[in-house]
Amino acid sequence: MFDTRPASSSRPSLRSIRGRAAIVTAGRSAVGRVPGRSTLALACDAAKAALADAGIERGAIDGVLTSVAFAAPFHRFSVAFSEYFGIVPTFSNTLQVSGATAATMFNIAAAAVAGGLAENVLVLGADSLLTGLSPDLALRSMTESRDQQYEMPFGIPVANTFAMTAHRHMKEFGTTAEQFAKVAVIHREHAMRTPGAQTTEPITVDDVLSSGWVTTPYHKLDCSLISDGAAAFVVSSADRVGEFKSKPIYILGAGECYTHEHIFLMPSLTTTGAVQSSAKAYAMAGCTPSDIDVAGVYDCFTGTVIMMLEDLGFCPKGEGGRFVDDRQITYGGSIPCNTHGGLLSFAHPGMPGSLLHFLEVVEQLRGRCGNRQVLGAELGLVHSLGAGFATQATTILGTEATL
Amino acid sequence: MRRIEPKEAHIKPLPVPDADSQVYWDGLREGRLLLQHCNTCGHVQFYQQDICRHCGGEALERRAASGRGVVHSFSVVHRAPGPAFKQDTPYAVLLVELAEGPRMISSLVGGDPMAVEFDMAVELVCESINDQVVLPRFRPTGA
Repeated sequence: MFDTRPASSSRPSLRSIRGRAAIVTAGRSAVGRVPGRSTLALACDAAKAALADAGIERGAIDGVLTSVAFAAPFHRFSVAFSEYFGIVPTFSNTLQVSGATAATMFNIAAAAVAGGLAENVLVLGADSLLTGLSPDLALRSMTESRDQQYEMPFGIPVANTFAMTAHRHMKEFGTTAEQFAKVAVIHREHAMRTPGAQTTEPITVDDVLSSGWVTTPYHKLDCSLISDGAAAFVVSSADRVGEFKSKPIYILGAGECYTHEHIFLMPSLTTTGAVQSSAKAYAMAGCTPSDIDVAGVYDCFTGTVIMMLEDLGFCPKGEGGRFVDDRQITYGGSIPCNTHGGLLSFAHPGMPGSLLHFLEVVEQLRGRCGNRQVLGAELGLVHSLGAGFATQATTILGTEATL
Repeated sequence: MRRIEPKEAHIKPLPVPDADSQVYWDGLREGRLLLQHCNTCGHVQFYQQDICRHCGGEALERRAASGRGVVHSFSVVHRAPGPAFKQDTPYAVLLVELAEGPRMISSLVGGDPMAVEFDMAVELVCESINDQVVLPRFRPTGA
């Protein structure tokens, strides 16, 4: 167990990973519709971009952590990637806790370098959900994500589990369809400023509400994209960051929580394990939600963002809809979120999707976001989740000034 | 888990019982929705498993549920997850809270999916799919 007391800011506890590891570089492949590139080729594009950005030699990578890929269904994607990329790591694993995998990879990479398992861990995710799925793989991706005995016989798509939580949120707190739609509108505004975003046409609340039902209360534009893409990072020990030419972004706090597997055993449909995962991360980082300058909040559906704003502590429970209505999640608001456009408008290549939130927050903390820069951003949070809120993971990141 | 091949895409996925759940699916064939009652702590649970999730005890007793429940949440599916469910759209997936406490996933029969409401009273319908499989579905009480 990690020490859940606030860690000392000057001398990290041996039982905490606070400040003991840093993201020393980050990069991505092209995202969106990327035909003619295999999933492993996209993974290489991202890894090469990340290594080039910090002047890191391929041979310096001795650890590899990846998610799995639908379009390249290797049981050991991290191992298959290493072979393809021509490296022989001495630390590797392929992780799978659905959408939460992204944050868990950083948390585990930080622990691995802090604990001496590896020096430079490549954190990588890639998939080709838009152009790379054969018909059988596409079918499997739709039908095999829920339990075969107690869920799938009733025709429950994964979207349905998230929809039932959003629906209940409307019932309990009066959250409205217009407030959900506002989440999509703001994400699109963000994507319009981001080079390479998959969708950049402006949309209105009415566009969302008239985009057709997918599964109530969600319309088509309440749902995230389907994309190709990859992102890669290198996590290194904090005492080695001087070896790299890029600005290190430190991992300050980490937390996870797994409350259920089946949606019918979710303890509450409107309060999730993100409360516990983020509390653990805040305690380790020694900060509170109001200290965070910029956030990446998993946005597989519009209502997901509203619920997470509450559970991550950015607004009180039940206030998420009004918080979005007040434009608190964009520039000038209390917590700019998903300034790249998120899964809703930038790209959602499956499990790498949340890595793109990490990329954006890292770039914001490095001050490299140009006309979408959140001025003075020093402390960031990324929250990844998946499987109908079954899996939750939070990572808090900061510049050297926050150590 | 058995994988679904494209040539079977029009076939709805059916449960394949395991050593824990065989008795549950057998019970449904006899019109009974079995829950587990813990004789140690009193916890009532869905689905059938080897230990009580609440206290870890193993003294579990199976009893048939009353079949009465309310809709805790729901979502009406307009875009089906694959070809097998396409002809059924729109259909209402229900998160039913049983009178005994546990929740379960099911879907509505015998009612207008767009008329489903929170806390609506529903009752069990044991629907025969084939010689082997009976699915627990729910209809509006008194329908």
